[in-house]
Amino acid sequence: MTNQLLVIVQIAGRRCALSALDVKSVIEIGTVTPIPRAPAHIAGITALRSQALTVIDCRLALGLVQHAWPTDVRAAVVAEGGHAYALKVDQIEDITTAIGEPGQVPGGFGAQWSRVATGMIETLTGPALLIDLSALIAGPDALRHEAEAA
Amino acid sequence: MDDLLAEFIAETREMLEASSGEIVAWEADPADRARLDTIFRFVHTVKGNCGFFDFPRLAALSHAAEDALADCRAGRRDPDPQMVSAVLAIIDRIAQMVDAIEAGEDISNADPDGGDQALIDAVNVSRETSGEDGASAVKQGSSPRLHAPASALIESVEEAATPARRADPASQRTIRLPVELLDRVMSGVSDMVLARNDLAHRLRQAGNQPTIDGPFERLTTILSDVRDAITRMRMQRIETLFSAMPRLVRDLSAELGKQVMVDLDGGDVELDREMIETIRDPLTHIIRNAIDHGIEPPSARLANGKREIGLLAIAARQSGNTIAIVISDDGHGLDEDRIAAKAIATGLITAAERSAMSRDKILNLIFEPGFSTAEVVSNVSGRGVGLDVVRQNLEKVGGSIKVSSQPGHGTLFTLQIPLTLSIIAGLTVEVSGQRFAIPQSYVEEIVQASTTALDLSHMGETALITFRGNRVPSLMLADVLGLDTSADAARDPTLVMLRLASGDLFALAVDGIHNHGDLVVKPLAPAVMKSGLYAGSTLLDDGQPVLLLDVANIAAAHDLVSDGRARVLQPVADEAAKPAHALPRAMLFTDCNGRRSAVRLELVQRIETAPVSAIDCSGPRPRVVIDGLILPLIDLPDTAVPAPGNTGRVRLLRLSDGACELLVAVQQVEDAVELAGPLIPVPDDPLAEAVTLVDGQPVTLIDAHELFARFGEPPVAAGRPQCSLPADDWARTILAPLVTSAGYEIVPPESADPHTIAIVFDEVFEAAEALGRGLTGPVIRLRDRPEATAGSDTIYRYDRDALLSALTSAARFAHRPGGRA
Repeated sequence: MTNQLLVIVQIAGRRCALSALDVKSVIEIGTVTPIPRAPAHIAGITALRSQALTVIDCRLALGLVQHAWPTDVRAAVVAEGGHAYALKVDQIEDITTAIGEPGQVPGGFGAQWSRVATGMIETLTGPALLIDLSALIAGPDALRHEAEAA
Repeated sequence: MDDLLAEFIAETREMLEASSGEIVAWEADPADRARLDTIFRFVHTVKGNCGFFDFPRLAALSHAAEDALADCRAGRRDPDPQMVSAVLAIIDRIAQMVDAIEAGEDISNADPDGGDQALIDAVNVSRETSGEDGASAVKQGSSPRLHAPASALIESVEEAATPARRADPASQRTIRLPVELLDRVMSGVSDMVLARNDLAHRLRQAGNQPTIDGPFERLTTILSDVRDAITRMRMQRIETLFSAMPRLVRDLSAELGKQVMVDLDGGDVELDREMIETIRDPLTHIIRNAIDHGIEPPSARLANGKREIGLLAIAARQSGNTIAIVISDDGHGLDEDRIAAKAIATGLITAAERSAMSRDKILNLIFEPGFSTAEVVSNVSGRGVGLDVVRQNLEKVGGSIKVSSQPGHGTLFTLQIPLTLSIIAGLTVEVSGQRFAIPQSYVEEIVQASTTALDLSHMGETALITFRGNRVPSLMLADVLGLDTSADAARDPTLVMLRLASGDLFALAVDGIHNHGDLVVKPLAPAVMKSGLYAGSTLLDDGQPVLLLDVANIAAAHDLVSDGRARVLQPVADEAAKPAHALPRAMLFTDCNGRRSAVRLELVQRIETAPVSAIDCSGPRPRVVIDGLILPLIDLPDTAVPAPGNTGRVRLLRLSDGACELLVAVQQVEDAVELAGPLIPVPDDPLAEAVTLVDGQPVTLIDAHELFARFGEPPVAAGRPQCSLPADDWARTILAPLVTSAGYEIVPPESADPHTIAIVFDEVFEAAEALGRGLTGPVIRLRDRPEATAGSDTIYRYDRDALLSALTSAARFAHRPGGRA
């Protein structure tokens, strides 16, 4: 797994990595139909050809305030649990190759970041945080629910 | 190995089909080298393939034929008719054996009737001797049951071979495909539909382009065909669900110490793949229940005089757009008294209500939430999630469930489910600038009215409207979704009346209705589903995604679904409320004298609006021309008397007794009402059947019998009066449209009959008179100058009014019998 391909994106100003195998495509996001009463990090649904994608704002999914960062007009399309999602991020940078396995750093990444991150991964273009998609899509409330359950 | 065999069979078949033509041709001309080669290749391939499989008979046959054909090819032998027949008989036998192999019959054992050997001999014999021997050997060796004699083959190999083949009912050719590929094709077709819609939109904008519109129409037709076919591809036989049942039943019955036999029927019924998944759990649940609670232990069964093995029958049937799945067991049936006692104990019903309920209703209480009759909670069923969940899950996909039971004889569950859950009829509504879809099945009615008309009132937090005299709870969709409401929309909402599966009615206020149509529903991400407001998403024609509202859930969240108790009681109340007979209905109107009257609704055909010019008052009774029929008119108001220049319109009620029709002129048509009040006869007014009260106001009900007796007459088709025009451009382009729009048919002068009104220029008329060839019919003479010449009866050609009134009087003159006299 040392030469795993990664898609590097900027989320809330941080370099993050998504496994290239998870990313189905990168699309230019069109009109997003908001979903009333849905969790805040779900921006709405948008149509990709005949498919409906759930649009996730990754900044909000981390419990951060979204308007502090620019938003790329492009979004990464990922599939998780049989549903397709479009991830809104600051910027989609490039595809690169991983060097080594994801690892932890002393002190952790912070509560929300730790929830969504598998670990830090070194790539050809520098270190990035490897993102766990299902945790990201679950949204910021997941952490609270976990805490309540514990 | 099975795959290899299937391939062998398929290949042999294919070659047989391909070479059948060659065989017939070779037969006609045995010297044809090319045909010979084809047939040789066929038997050679069969022989080669037999090496892989253990088919000694097939190998022997093909070997013999190959030898004979090889000799022919090498020139050692001439293909004489006997040999040809023998080879053809072998090929025919090979075809039958291939059929037998496919059917799974054992053909590897030795030649059962020696037929094979006879065929082989026939080929070989004819090698040495010629003449009758070969053919007779073939005939001798032919078993009539297994293959047609070679002599028959001489006529047509194809025809002889076909009836000998087994007619396999399941021989529909099929291929196996990964589901994922199907999904890709489906979404591809959906994309094509969207692209087509987009293109259609652009084509409309670009205007009419015949060269593109034709092919585009064709594309549309093809696409909808393909879409239908693809939808069918999603269908799966319910067998896939059934196939797991025997094992489930076996395991359960072993666990519970019961003996159950399962009988499955209708496995070939096809259902949407996703629907099959949806009903898997409910079905399993019911089967568990049946084995656990329904079917008795063997000893109890024997004691009741039943077979010790219980029978569980599951049958699927398709009827129209729904599938019915019936699960029946021959157990001890549902215990009405125990169910009732339990329902009373849990507070679902009261003892008084119980006595008023039918057995059927009591039995169906088992679907109420929190109901379980099992006294001992067993390992298998009865763990709190009961039949209420089953019903809920089925209702979620638009299905239903009911139960019936014969005490001591068994229980029968009937599930009704829609054929597909991916395409539903839906209504698109708009609220706060956003669109949402509502499944059409819930929509009872759409009401558009002001809040005052609906008597909107707020009781605490709940809004109520008055709809057909009932107070109905109302939800603002914008509030439900937490959207901003515009003041306009709140004042003048459109209400969608929704009827839940439980029979509860509530109103959903929206800003507007867009349209309705078939929606392809796609699932939503779980995080969105968790909000409980949406059932899925769908794409509109323009590719915009919209959310499908989960009506049942929204109603439940707002406590609009009556609890089980009300649900059970409602039908009882309904039955009581139903009147013994339907009240007569009448059309309420204000007649031309300002009197409120009514006429029985059954009589009213239509409400017509006619121009005053269509009324003809020349006869003793006024008449009206409507749709080319002359109908008697009653109660004509004085204001509407036709006069030249009166361009007003009158409202007419068109009444019919079945044979004849008449029209009643009215001032205003009000509404259809029920005649609930007593009917008081009016003896002194023959035209009034009775006087009654509607909303506290007296209303005269018209006596239809007297009305039709007096005025009724069967309608007469009114021939449009004919008119001939001068033959020049002015008449064609300027006069003709005017005359046509006035209701005249323009005929060429040569086909004019005496009733045809002739419009001629005065000069022409005078010339004709002078020549003694005056016109026979009514004549309208036109002059070119506005000033009239004294003494001549002419009309200035641009005097529209005069022209029209002249036409009217001429037409009346022409139509009156003997009017010409």
